[in-house]
Amino acid sequence: MAPHDLRRPFKRAAISDQQKRRDLSLLRQAQNRHDAQQHARHLASTVLSLQSSSSPELDIE
Amino acid sequence: IAAVEIPRKQWPELIGSLLNNMTQIDSPASLKQATLETLGYVCEEISHQDLVQDEVNSVLTAVVQGMNLAEHSPEVRLAATKALYNALDFAQTNFENEMERNYIMKVVCETALSKEADIRQAAFECLVSIASTYYEVLEPYMQTLFELTSNAVKGDEETVSLQAIEFWSSICDEEIELQEYEGSESGDSVPPHSRFIEKAISLLVPMLLETLLKQEEGQDQDDSIWNISMAGGTCLGLVARTVGDAIVPLVMPFVQTNIVKPDWRCREAATYAFGSILEGPTIEQLSPLVRAGLDFLLNAMKDENNQVKDSTAWTLSRIFELLHSPATGFSVISPEKLEQVLAVLLESIRDAPNVAEKVCGAIYYLAQGYEDAGTSSSHLTPYLTNIISRLIETAARTDGSDSKLRSSAYETLNEVIRCSYIPETSHIVAQLLPVIMTKLGETLELQIVSSEDREKQGDLQASLCGVLQVIIQKLSGTDETKPIILQASDHIMILFLKVFACRRSTVHEEAMLAIGALAYACGPEFGKYMSEFYKYLEMGLQNFEEYQVCSITVGVVGDICRALDDKVLPYCDGIMTFLINNLQSTELHRSVKPPIFSCIGDIALAIGEHFEKYVSHAIPMMQGAAEHCAKMDTSDEELMEYANQLKLSIFEAYSGILQGFKNAKSEVMMPYAGHLLQFIELVSRDSPRDESVAKAAIAVMGDLADALGPNTKLLFKDSIFYVQFLGECLQSDDEQLKETAVWAQGMIGRVLVS
Repeated sequence: MAPHDLRRPFKRAAISDQQKRRDLSLLRQAQNRHDAQQHARHLASTVLSLQSSSSPELDIE
Repeated sequence: IAAVEIPRKQWPELIGSLLNNMTQIDSPASLKQATLETLGYVCEEISHQDLVQDEVNSVLTAVVQGMNLAEHSPEVRLAATKALYNALDFAQTNFENEMERNYIMKVVCETALSKEADIRQAAFECLVSIASTYYEVLEPYMQTLFELTSNAVKGDEETVSLQAIEFWSSICDEEIELQEYEGSESGDSVPPHSRFIEKAISLLVPMLLETLLKQEEGQDQDDSIWNISMAGGTCLGLVARTVGDAIVPLVMPFVQTNIVKPDWRCREAATYAFGSILEGPTIEQLSPLVRAGLDFLLNAMKDENNQVKDSTAWTLSRIFELLHSPATGFSVISPEKLEQVLAVLLESIRDAPNVAEKVCGAIYYLAQGYEDAGTSSSHLTPYLTNIISRLIETAARTDGSDSKLRSSAYETLNEVIRCSYIPETSHIVAQLLPVIMTKLGETLELQIVSSEDREKQGDLQASLCGVLQVIIQKLSGTDETKPIILQASDHIMILFLKVFACRRSTVHEEAMLAIGALAYACGPEFGKYMSEFYKYLEMGLQNFEEYQVCSITVGVVGDICRALDDKVLPYCDGIMTFLINNLQSTELHRSVKPPIFSCIGDIALAIGEHFEKYVSHAIPMMQGAAEHCAKMDTSDEELMEYANQLKLSIFEAYSGILQGFKNAKSEVMMPYAGHLLQFIELVSRDSPRDESVAKAAIAVMGDLADALGPNTKLLFKDSIFYVQFLGECLQSDDEQLKETAVWAQGMIGRVLVS
C-alpha cells in the first residue's frame, strides 16, 4: 500500500567501494580455488603420464 | 484476512457485500470511503485470477464510479482514486479491452484535473503506475498525457508536478529496458518500443530544463529534500540515456546561455544539465564539448556559490567516469592536462563538506581510468603522494555533519591505491601501511560514552579495515612487495583481533575480508594466528542475520585452507559442523549456500584423505542440492542464476573431494559416483548452458576418472551422454573450456583402456 517512492538517486553517490571490495575478494578466491584444483589435476596428470606415457586418448569423434 | 481467505475460496460473499455498500443509495459517504479503501487493499493483496472476471469487473466499476465528480464527495473520490492505484495490476484483463481501457483512462485523466490537489496527486500516481504497467497500450493517450503532465509540471503544486515528472521518468525506464533487451539479442520476441521519448523530446526537454532553475537554497546539504529541480534533472539524465545524441543540441544552448549568467541558479542549472546528459550520447558527440568546456568547469570550482561548486564537481566526476579511460585508449584528459585537473581537485577537496565529497568522487573516477592502463598508469604516479595526503587530511575533517565525507575519502583512497602502478609506487603504498595501522590502533583507544560514539568508532574501523584490505591485496600481489606485508603481519593481526573484540557487524565483515587477504599473503605462516582467530571465524559462520558476514567468513575459510593445507585439520571438526548446520538451515539466506559447497571442496582438497569422516555428512547435502537444482523453475531468470551458482559450487565441492582423495582412499567416493554422473548428465542438457557451469561439470567428470581410475570404467561405458557433452565443449570458443575438455577426455580415455 506504500505509495510509489518518488525519490530517485540524485547526483547519485559516486562511490560504492564496499561492494567492490567484496567482489574483488570473491574474484581472488575463485581464481585461487581454480588454481589449487588445476594444480591438483596437473599433479595427477604428471604422475599418470609418467606411469603410462603412451596411453591412447578417447576418440569421441 | 481477505488476502488469506479469498485465494482459498473461504470468503466468497465478501466482494458482493462490499459492492453492496457502494450501490445502496442510502449508504453514507463515510461507509463508501471505507469500502473503497478496503477494496483497494484487497485488490492489492490478491490476484485477479482469485476472482471470477465478473467480480473483477464489478470491483473496477465500483472504484471507477467512485471517482465520478458529479456523484461523490471529495473524500470518496480520493479514496476511489487511491483504490484504483492499488487495483491497477488487478485490471490486466480490462486494460486489454480497448473500450474498458479508454473508459478507465478517460476517468483517470479527468480526475487529474480535479479541483482538489490531493485528488490530482492520486490521479497522477495512477498515471505513473500505468506508464510502467501498461506501457505497450499508451500510444493513443500520449497527446493528452503530454498536455496534462506538461501543465502540471509548469503550474501545479509541487506534490503534483513531482508525479508528472515521475511519469516521464517511468516512460524512460521502460524504454531504456526495452533498448537493453533489444541490444541483448536474446532470441525471444521483443515487446513493442513506441519511442515516446524520442517523439516528445523537442517539447519534453525544454520543460525539464525549466525545472532546473527552481532549486532550493542548500538542497545539496540536506538529504531529506526532494524537489522539482532534482526530479527534473534526474529525468533529463534518463531522457539522455533513452535518446542518446539527439538530446545534445536541445540542451547545449541552455547550458551555454545560463552558465555565464550572474544568477547562481542559472549557473547551477546549466552545469547540472550538462552533467546530466553525459551518459547516453556517443563519445564522438560529447568529447569536443567536454574538451571545450573543461577549463570553464575547472574555474567554476572557485565559484562563489556552494551549489554551483557541488554540481561542477559532480559533473567533473561524471566526465571522468564516462569519458576518461586510458586503459581502452581514450580519454578527454590528456597527460598534460592532468596536472591542472589535480591541482584544482586537491584544492577543492578542502571546500565545504558537500563539495569535498563530490571531489572525492571525481578523484575516484579519475584514478579508476588508470587501472590496468599499461604505460598510461604511470601518469598518475607523480601526484600519488599528494593525492594520498590530501585524502587522509580529508578523512580527518570534523566539519561534516555525518561520516559520509570521511568514508568517501577512505573509499577514494582505496581506488587510488588499487589503480596505482605498483612497480613505481610500492614505496608510497608501503609508507601508507603504518599510517593506517596507527589510525586503526587509535580507534581502539577512543573514549566511548554514547551509542553514537560507538557507531562512529565502528564506521571508522570499518573504513580503515577496508583500506588495510586493499593495501594487503595490492602489496601481496607481487613477489617484490609481498615481504612488506609479511613483516607487518603480526602487528596487523593483533589489530584485527582487537577490532573483532568490538563486535560490530560492519566491522566484522571488513576485518574478515582483510584477514582473507592476509591469509593468502602469509600462506602456512598464518597458522600461528589460528588459535586466537578461530573463535571469530566461528562467530562469523553463525551470523545468519548479517548473512554477508557469514558469506564472507565462508570465503575466508577457503583462503585459510589454501594457506594452511593439512595444518587446518585441527579446526575442521568445528568448521564442518557449522557448514553442515548452515546448509540445513532454512533461516540462512540462500545466497550463502553455494559458497558453502565451494568451501567444502576447499577443505577436502586441503586435508585430503582426512576428509573421509565428513563424507557421510557432506555428500548427502550435495546430492540433495543437486536434486533441488533439477526441480528449479528455469523460466525465472533470478532463480536460474542461483541454480547456476549452486550447480557450479556442487561441482567444485566434488572436484575438491575427489582430488583430495586421489592419492589415498579414493574408493570412499565410489558409492557416490553414479549419482554425480547423473547430475553431470542433467547439467549437460541445460539449455541455455552456462559456460562456467559447463567448465566445472567437465572438470569434475575428469576428476572422477582421475581419482577413481579403472573403478569407473563400467560407469563410463554405460553412459553415452558424456561423449556428446565432451564433443560440444571441445568445439567451444572458450579456450579454458576446450583445455578442460581435452584434459577430461584424456582422463576418461585412460580409464576406458585400463
